[in-house]
Amino acid sequence: MTFTNVSRRGFLKGSGLVLGFSLAAGASVRSGEATSELDPTFEPADLNAWIRIGKDGKATLLMGAAEMGQGVYTALPMLLAEELDVAWEDVSVEFAPAAPAYRRNSFSFPGKVQITGGSESVRGYWPILRKAGATARAMLVATAASRWGVASSECRTEGGRVLHGDQALSYGELAHEAAERRAPSGVDPKDPKDFRLLGTSAPRLDIPSKVDGTAVFGIDVVVPDMLNGTVVACPHHGGSLVSFDAAKAKESPGVVDVLEVLGAVVVVADTFWHAKKGAALVDITWDPGDGAGLDDAKLTEILTEALDDAVRSYGHGGAPKFDESKIEATYSVPWLDHAPIEPMVATAHVQADRVDVWAPTQVQNRVWVRAARAAGVSRDDVHVHSTYLGGGFGRKSYADFTDYAVETSLLVGKPVKLTYTREETFAHGFYRPGVLCRHEVSLGEDGLPTDWLVTMASQNILDDFLPPGLHNLPVVAETVHGGLSHAPYAVDRMRVDYGHVRLPIPVGWWRSVHGSHNGFFRECFVDECAHAAGRDPVEYRRAMLKDHPRHLAVLDLAVEKAGAVPAGLSRGVALFACFGSICAEVIDIEVKGGDVFPRKVHVAIDCGMIVNPDIIDQQLAGGATMGISSALHGGLSFVDGAVQQTNFHQYPLLMMKQAPSVEVHVVPSTEPPGGVGELAVPPAPAALCNAIFAATGTRIRTLPVGDQLKG
Amino acid sequence: MFELKINGATHRVEVEPDTPLLWVVREQLGMTGTKFGCGVGACGACTMHIGGMAMRTCILPVAGAVGLEITTIEGLDHAVQQAWITEQVPQCGYCQSGQIMAAASLLARNPEPTDADIDAAMSNLCRCATYDRIRKGIHAAAGELAVLRAAEAEAAAKAAAEAEAEAAAKAEAEGAEGVEGAEGATP
Repeated sequence: MTFTNVSRRGFLKGSGLVLGFSLAAGASVRSGEATSELDPTFEPADLNAWIRIGKDGKATLLMGAAEMGQGVYTALPMLLAEELDVAWEDVSVEFAPAAPAYRRNSFSFPGKVQITGGSESVRGYWPILRKAGATARAMLVATAASRWGVASSECRTEGGRVLHGDQALSYGELAHEAAERRAPSGVDPKDPKDFRLLGTSAPRLDIPSKVDGTAVFGIDVVVPDMLNGTVVACPHHGGSLVSFDAAKAKESPGVVDVLEVLGAVVVVADTFWHAKKGAALVDITWDPGDGAGLDDAKLTEILTEALDDAVRSYGHGGAPKFDESKIEATYSVPWLDHAPIEPMVATAHVQADRVDVWAPTQVQNRVWVRAARAAGVSRDDVHVHSTYLGGGFGRKSYADFTDYAVETSLLVGKPVKLTYTREETFAHGFYRPGVLCRHEVSLGEDGLPTDWLVTMASQNILDDFLPPGLHNLPVVAETVHGGLSHAPYAVDRMRVDYGHVRLPIPVGWWRSVHGSHNGFFRECFVDECAHAAGRDPVEYRRAMLKDHPRHLAVLDLAVEKAGAVPAGLSRGVALFACFGSICAEVIDIEVKGGDVFPRKVHVAIDCGMIVNPDIIDQQLAGGATMGISSALHGGLSFVDGAVQQTNFHQYPLLMMKQAPSVEVHVVPSTEPPGGVGELAVPPAPAALCNAIFAATGTRIRTLPVGDQLKG
Repeated sequence: MFELKINGATHRVEVEPDTPLLWVVREQLGMTGTKFGCGVGACGACTMHIGGMAMRTCILPVAGAVGLEITTIEGLDHAVQQAWITEQVPQCGYCQSGQIMAAASLLARNPEPTDADIDAAMSNLCRCATYDRIRKGIHAAAGELAVLRAAEAEAAAKAAAEAEAEAAAKAEAEGAEGVEGAEGATP
């Protein structure tokens, strides 16, 4: 593999001042360490796009993915450091620009991408970074070997040094000469049995800066001469701006201008606080447009009608057959907001010959391309500077907020940071779609399903994300019915019909995507079938998983670790595979006065080879709790196409006192790595609602649980 | 013009009196460690210590903070921060400045909180749901502080004992001198 030698320093030349002023301390993940841009005596050598080694032997690794809490700024450097053989203490990370060199393999789209999502970062960079690390190591070894006049094969490496007999040279002493060499092709990465770093809980590189306030998130970007703005877009999805009167707002302290930007009103001021106060004074007339009349009852009616118009989208074994013993149930989930605690925010500076965008984005490449188009400059003149994301969960896979920042800067001719209020962040999401799902099933004599017809109705999140030419990709159908199609359970005849609904409500990737609804739909209905068959839900699943030993092992591990149901608690179980891994959860709850108290969660996962067990633990504990939080309280409602939830008091997230204790168990594996970040979300709502059934006999088929158990 | 005492330093700011302290600190004074999450005091990302109390500063007008000691994450040097590293608490980290300020405040009032105490005191939202580890981090910091307190108490006791012994020795010496002196004074 060859690497384009994207020089970070070359890239930074034009913007060194700006970055040096505002972001250098945060751009280097380890706070307190001088970056090369700040210290003129520090002359690192670029061994390839990813690896820079200083004279002191310290390695700076450039990360093309976005760090939004999922730990990739630790897991990905581990891949490089393992192959390069540098000590973890000598590794630091910088955010790479948007550039083709930093793309990874995709499991969803053709070609390579610079997108952070789909729990694909470790999987997608796995071969690329290991090869990059191994190749750089080979260049360092070859340099040392030629100095010593020995064969490379006689040398070994350890802790940032090349060793031969009693001789040793540090990478710092070799890096510059090594960088002049041609990168060899065909260097093999290590045999996993030789891993020293991978598989260990190396401490996260981002954490020190996240406990002392120095980590730079999107909202913390400051560039010289910057204005602050806030956006007010039409609250009615499907509607539009008719007119606005900004006279009062313009008299408000600090307000610089009130503009129409991309069909929204943007108030620009000296500070965000002044922009927010000014925005409240703009008198705006909206036309609800296609949003008119679009409320919860209407949405339910549209989805219900679409069930009747559903067409076959997946099937195996022929048409499902039913007789009078058919079991039928209809489930539904609401639209959900991602609700990252960092509101939507981006900073842009459009100049005649260059554009800079600073953003907490999951899609650097998309921001890059769109900024170039909007400003009418070459992509080479667009520089996307990533920051930490204060949560992403899929929301920051969209370029709406960066578009507003770029267009506003274009109009005012100055750098502008555009920060949404929380209210605007709720009003303009790319929501997890509301979905309706009807199950019909026939059970055989043993009580196991023989025939299963699933009929679903929802929007498709990829309608607007992908160009129409790519709508035949498997991922398009998978985002609707993945996990119902291709379920691991043995069923003779299975079919999924899909009623494709188009609505003006923006929808998008929401942590675990299809799993966020299909885990609930499938695993609760399987419980219903087990109950109808008079069989234990765990034993029932085991019987259906006989051809899927990896799934079975995960289920067994979760159940075994959970042990006996503690006195006074009730238990639910669920299993779901997605993004290359398999996850099972056992949830023990208590129900008091109609309130559900999740007490204990056991999560088991098979995610292939383990990169960093502690990060797996973090992600699964957080994911399970997020799934439970949404199942208990999450839901958006609409009036005239406008989201009614404005802030956290109307869209509650689980607080510490409500959150369960979570224990994570990992199945040892030598398979290639699978995804982790989203895996624990799908089983959680199902295991929770199965536990509610065990506790109360009430079958929750509509989320959120809310007050359904109260009188 | 408002005069604010933040992290031990005095700052003068020219803002309208209703400006929330959060935005004064972030936008006027350039300290961005404290975060904006909701603007209605619901999430706790903006928590600072005001006069020793953890408060949500997105709804606290700057005028209300005048004359009080203000501490932000930038000015905090607390066992909770090391515990957050040891327990690897943060994920995205956005809410953690606020969580840390709330935790430090809890430990100031209640040096050895139970799980129930922690649950009752910690109402800041974390979308990554790092709650389990926050709880562990608070216990770890409490343990660390208890060790420090014990060490300080031991050192203080030792110092007191040494001082006492020294005083006794001195008294004895003085006493001896006194006796001698007394004797000397005795006709």
